[in-house]
Amino acid sequence: MRSGFYKQTIAEHLALTDSWTQRAWIAVALAALATAPFVLDTYLLTLVTLMMITAVGGIGLNILTGWTGLISLGQTGFMVLGAYGYAIPVETWGWDPLAGFLLAGLVPAAASVLVGIPSLRLTGLYLAITTLASAFIVVHLVLEFPGLTNGASGIFVNRPTVLGWTVFTDQDLFRLVAIFLVLTILGALNLRRSRIGRAWFAIRDKDDAARVMGVDLRTYKLYAFVASSFVVGLSGALYGIFLSFVTVDGFPFLLSIEALAMLIVGGMGSIAGAVLGAVFLVGLPEVVSMVFSAFGDSARALLSTGAHEVKGVLYGLVIIGFLRLQPEGLMGLWRDAQRVWTLWPLRY
Amino acid sequence: MNYLIELLVSGLAVGAVYGLIAMSFAIIFKATGLLNFAQGEMGMITAYVAFSIASATDGNPWLTAAGAIVFSVLFALAVERIVIRPMVDEPILARIMTTIGLAVIFRSGTMLVWDALPHDMGLAAGSALVDLGGVRVRGAQIGVVVALAVAVAAMLAFFRYSRFGIAMRAVASDDATARLMGVKTARVQQAAWGAAAVMSGIAGALFAIAWELSPSLYALGLKSFPATILGGLDSVVGSAFGGVVIGITENLVGGYLSPGLKEVAGFVIIIAILMVRPYGLFGEKRIERL
Amino acid sequence: MKSWKGAALLAAALAAPAMAADQGVTDTEILLGEVEPLTGPPGLLGIAHNLGVRLALAEANAAGGVGGRTLKLVAEDDGYVTSRTIQSLRKLIGVDKVFALTAVSGSGQAVASIPVLKQSGIPTMIPIGPLPPLYEPPMDNVFVVGQSYTEGMHQLALFLAEKHPGAKWGVITQDDDYGAALREGIEQAKGEAQIEVAFETRYARGQKDFSSEMLRVKDAGVEVLIAGGIISENIAMVKEAEKLGITPAIATFWPGRVPEVLKAIGPASDGIYAVDYVAPIQSDAGQAFLELARKHLTEDEVARVNRYTMTGYTSTRLLIAAMQTCAEDLTWACTNQALADGPAVDTGVMAPAAFAGGRFTNSPVTIMQADYETLSYAPVD
Repeated sequence: MRSGFYKQTIAEHLALTDSWTQRAWIAVALAALATAPFVLDTYLLTLVTLMMITAVGGIGLNILTGWTGLISLGQTGFMVLGAYGYAIPVETWGWDPLAGFLLAGLVPAAASVLVGIPSLRLTGLYLAITTLASAFIVVHLVLEFPGLTNGASGIFVNRPTVLGWTVFTDQDLFRLVAIFLVLTILGALNLRRSRIGRAWFAIRDKDDAARVMGVDLRTYKLYAFVASSFVVGLSGALYGIFLSFVTVDGFPFLLSIEALAMLIVGGMGSIAGAVLGAVFLVGLPEVVSMVFSAFGDSARALLSTGAHEVKGVLYGLVIIGFLRLQPEGLMGLWRDAQRVWTLWPLRY
Repeated sequence: MNYLIELLVSGLAVGAVYGLIAMSFAIIFKATGLLNFAQGEMGMITAYVAFSIASATDGNPWLTAAGAIVFSVLFALAVERIVIRPMVDEPILARIMTTIGLAVIFRSGTMLVWDALPHDMGLAAGSALVDLGGVRVRGAQIGVVVALAVAVAAMLAFFRYSRFGIAMRAVASDDATARLMGVKTARVQQAAWGAAAVMSGIAGALFAIAWELSPSLYALGLKSFPATILGGLDSVVGSAFGGVVIGITENLVGGYLSPGLKEVAGFVIIIAILMVRPYGLFGEKRIERL
Repeated sequence: MKSWKGAALLAAALAAPAMAADQGVTDTEILLGEVEPLTGPPGLLGIAHNLGVRLALAEANAAGGVGGRTLKLVAEDDGYVTSRTIQSLRKLIGVDKVFALTAVSGSGQAVASIPVLKQSGIPTMIPIGPLPPLYEPPMDNVFVVGQSYTEGMHQLALFLAEKHPGAKWGVITQDDDYGAALREGIEQAKGEAQIEVAFETRYARGQKDFSSEMLRVKDAGVEVLIAGGIISENIAMVKEAEKLGITPAIATFWPGRVPEVLKAIGPASDGIYAVDYVAPIQSDAGQAFLELARKHLTEDEVARVNRYTMTGYTSTRLLIAAMQTCAEDLTWACTNQALADGPAVDTGVMAPAAFAGGRFTNSPVTIMQADYETLSYAPVD
């Protein structure tokens, strides 16, 4: 039984996993991902697929918000750029989907340099404000250049053929998205333990101290923003493939808010938190619907009098409730549970 | 020539709406360091309450105005006390997300309490047409410009002469020191929320009279945001000016250039302003650069 | 390996409809499903549509159901968000296992759902947002009830061109596929009649302030204005025209042809033209429809009846008629065939609707004019 987290050597800090328990959990998760396509029905399968796509986006935002301490409200804009960055070359120009995925990351990354250079030199909320503005400007640009983007009519996206593997069924799509999720997690973890990742943490925890230690704030903040946008763009491309149709309507501004909410609910600054938050928030409307339909006829009567808005209210209450009562999110709850498990019957 | 004047007048009217809401953003930011993303929603709820009062009183403008203002203050105080104050020591991200959560609740709540249909406010005086030397405007549009002027005058006097206004400046410049000097910071922040609620409530209700009342009214908050940045996040009076500039710019862009550009003009201004003058036209230069 | 897999998939795809054909049907019940916005402002159409479907089902159930089976409906709310539409569709088809779909949300959502609908083969009615990609090329199992925006605009433009010869036109449309359809309709009409467009512009969805657009309308001396907004936008445009003191002939479209719009605009709404393939509520057919609604719905619900209730009702009647033809052999293949070849269904509130072997009813449109006094529309002569 382990009683705490003590890291004594640099090697321990650099290791991807820190204990056999953790490795066991990872093995369980991978096994679950591998068997899910054989076990789940199509509805649950697409639900989990959507959760994983959302989690990829959440991990992307976590690099910026959870690790570097910067707030972005532009998630929607970068997802749109990623989705079109994939759809235009692959569907319109007939490029290989792999090149499409690469562009889905590179296009938002390039845009983030444009947005980031003027706003990252300011402290405070200014990145939130510029990213908010850029989200609206991106949508406008997509509509303004119909020659390239097909304007409001959007672009149909087929399921891709990657390295000879044709993604056709829902099971295949699940596997494709799972692969991307695993790669994203690996990539993010590797960034975290690099010099860059440690610089981000330093900036988040105390930027003055970071600067004294030789971290160039502007450069490293820009790295965080670029890396984050790259991953968010990938989630946008996956989302476009999931919807099989890319339009600006498919990416409402609400996604930006949901992405932040996801980090809060899951637990800021941890990858597991981002994944948990995605699972929770994507699952929430489904669970509420199930509760509603469990009431049968009385719920159906509510339908026509507009009580569906209750869902919206609940959503807001969940966000505020977590912020107020459990700011560490679901990961915090999990740690509390672990502590109780280890120490019981003692309190501490 | 007349075309230009009409563009300017309609730009001024909608700009006054942005200006009032921008002032609400600014006053809360000044007193608490918080951006209230639910400001547009709070204005919308006040407009809906005004609509209910107007329907109940057969469109009596005085009762409606008084009732709506009283409601907006009580509502804001309740929100501040129940949701915002307990978060006061949390990190800024958590506090901002709280207001975003509130915004989500308010949007759904509005449709739960009222409905999703567009409505006419039913206030004859507000929608009556007035001829100003060849340019026709609605009563409520004059009202909103007057309201903006009054709000600006009141704010100038408030910060200059009232003890409370000076206390707010003290809280804004250094919260802890202000508290040591005996300023009740909580009281100051309540006052800011109340004032913000009145201003955005008036803007929401008058917009609903001159244009329409619908559950998408909250979008005014988002549209007013650039005005606050332009004027300076911590400059209440500057935000009013920013609102007017944005309103007129939008109309000139729509009137002479591409109408499609009109809706994003404000956001383009934000980016430009942050590059050149991040503290806005009138904000204090205390923003740190790296 | 690859060819084996391809063949297996092909076989699965071919076999799927036949194997799953009876899903949603038990000895006593038939389960139907639909996705539509029930929340937010678009709920205005979703809820009204839902009432129409339930009305048709209640009426059929009161008359003994289909082959003695009771019809039941599962309605999923997507809040007009495309990802949730697709999510809900998969749930309806895969988990609830409904027999047929009575609606797939709005036009954008339905177009995005095409791959899912095609793949599953489930009989699907599209009564909201009939866009050409949904019936050109026709899909076996997707049935579109109504008329395209393009054709509606085409007819409306021809009517206005004849009524106001030599007039200057102003066209304000939304910057999405709905706006594009309207613009195409005007282009078509231009080929057949004398239309001079003096001012044309597009607005961004969600825009609230139309003062600069309407000033340009005034400046251009527009006499015929195509107000191509949905609900809020049309209210704003007409109120702005009233403010500026201009009185062009204003033409609007069916998505916003609900009494609430007239009420919100006020007296200035008198005389606005509208085009629709559904009868106005105030007409005899409309009143008879309300009478029917009162029989099966609560008073609260009757108050929410609008044109979408009528389209939902007509389309569901078509579906029920086809299922009745197939009552003995209730399969997807039979229902799709019966829908395509079935006789016209006349509900009074739309012209008799039939698919005539195709997948689109191609319903004729009527030009109507608003009357503020009674908050209603009446056909023009």
